Amino acid sequence: MDAIIEVKGFQKSFGNKMIHKDVTFYVKKGECLCLIGGSGVGKSVILRSLIGLEKPDAGRIEIHGTDIVPLSEKELIPFRKKTAYIFQGGALFDSLSVFENLAFPLREHLKLSSKEIRERVLFHLAEFGLHGTEKLYPNQLSGGMQKRVGLARGIMLEPEVILYDEPTAGLDPSNTKKIQEHILTLKAKGVTSILVTHDMPTAFAVADKMAFLFEGRIAAQGTMEQLEKETNSLMSRFIAGEF
Amino acid sequence: MNFFLFFAGFTDLTIQFFRDTFKGRFYLRLLLIQIYSVGIKSAPLVILTAVSTGSVMALQFGLGLEKFGGKLYVPKLVGITVLREMGPVFTSLMFAARVGAGMASEIGSMKVTQQIDALRALGTSPIKQIVVPRVIACFIALPLLCIVANIVSNGGALLVGATELNIDSDFYFLKLTTGLDLYDFFSGFLKSFFFAFFISISSCYFGLNVKTGTQEVGIATTKAVVTSSVFVLVGDYVLTKAFWMVEKWMLS
Repeated sequence: MDAIIEVKGFQKSFGNKMIHKDVTFYVKKGECLCLIGGSGVGKSVILRSLIGLEKPDAGRIEIHGTDIVPLSEKELIPFRKKTAYIFQGGALFDSLSVFENLAFPLREHLKLSSKEIRERVLFHLAEFGLHGTEKLYPNQLSGGMQKRVGLARGIMLEPEVILYDEPTAGLDPSNTKKIQEHILTLKAKGVTSILVTHDMPTAFAVADKMAFLFEGRIAAQGTMEQLEKETNSLMSRFIAGEF
Repeated sequence: MNFFLFFAGFTDLTIQFFRDTFKGRFYLRLLLIQIYSVGIKSAPLVILTAVSTGSVMALQFGLGLEKFGGKLYVPKLVGITVLREMGPVFTSLMFAARVGAGMASEIGSMKVTQQIDALRALGTSPIKQIVVPRVIACFIALPLLCIVANIVSNGGALLVGATELNIDSDFYFLKLTTGLDLYDFFSGFLKSFFFAFFISISSCYFGLNVKTGTQEVGIATTKAVVTSSVFVLVGDYVLTKAFWMVEKWMLS
């Protein structure tokens, strides 16, 4: 199995409440997995753990075959450079302009000239339909633009894996469509991705397979073709809003 | 319990600060921004406080000592009090209120809006980006502000002495410069380094420990200011005692 991401026996508690009892799944290279489940089941916690922002109480998270759970912040840096985390609210640095936000990862990790940084930033801004926003600050942008800037910043280092946390939450249909298109474009380039969302049309538009998190476990998972056939499964009923 | 948690967190952050300061890349641009933010922008408040303190002290000492014919001791008394105590302590208290609150709320807001997580996710250290420039900036700015406060405070006292107490300004200045020695200056000035370190680290600690919600940002800000102010006041006694012992040892 050529899995890029493999989560085995993931357990996590907050206080006395055990959120994840035994979560196990994998994602192959170039695949897009959509993680769904009710509010508060811990989808984002899993996503955060995949980049080391949270540590599970037990279990393994293997990225390219390396368990990242015991790694220190310093040891995680090479993995973080190859993995982009797209935050729900964009998480843009509000003291920096859009240009500076996009230039940030380049300045941190690559030895590029000012000219090269400028070219790369402007190229990505144009690609995401954000031309002319480089001098603006995050608070001057709409929610949809903030998300696109966040996505653009995330891919500045050309990551192999992208983790999307509710990328379309709170967006109008037009901005949702734009985000979907960007996800599909990145997928077409061979980027592996995990998407946490409640937005089912987006999930069906971009995902190759879906995993349903329920009562601390992956209760069901399968390809989109399999899902369409199984109309009575727990996951199908959740998607249909029946519980 | 809370005290022990704070002590452990403070110690841990201090260790991380020293580890990250002397290792890897140094962000000079961030440091300069912070020096401007915590130093230059604090100057008006510090100057206002210092002028007021010096003027009031001159007036109080003058009026009190006049009854005993001791008005001429005002320059030395005010000078020593400002250099040894009032300059560093009042400046640090103002600094704790303005800079400590600002740091804790800014970092707390960054935590709530996931900007700290974004720094980590982008493969950088929040300690290096957030804590190190702020602590070093305070370490540079507060002692300089103390010097400014010492000068301005004595200037204010001189003005009041000359105008309200009818002390000749040349005489006041002469007494001020000949009646004070370097030890008076350093015993106050050196305290500001300790205060700067504690104010900045504790403010960063409270900011970084915000979990969720704006309410926690407010609580963190209050805690940062209260803790820093208490340290300045309690620490002042401990440091005064320590410097006093050193002074005694040097004179013996």
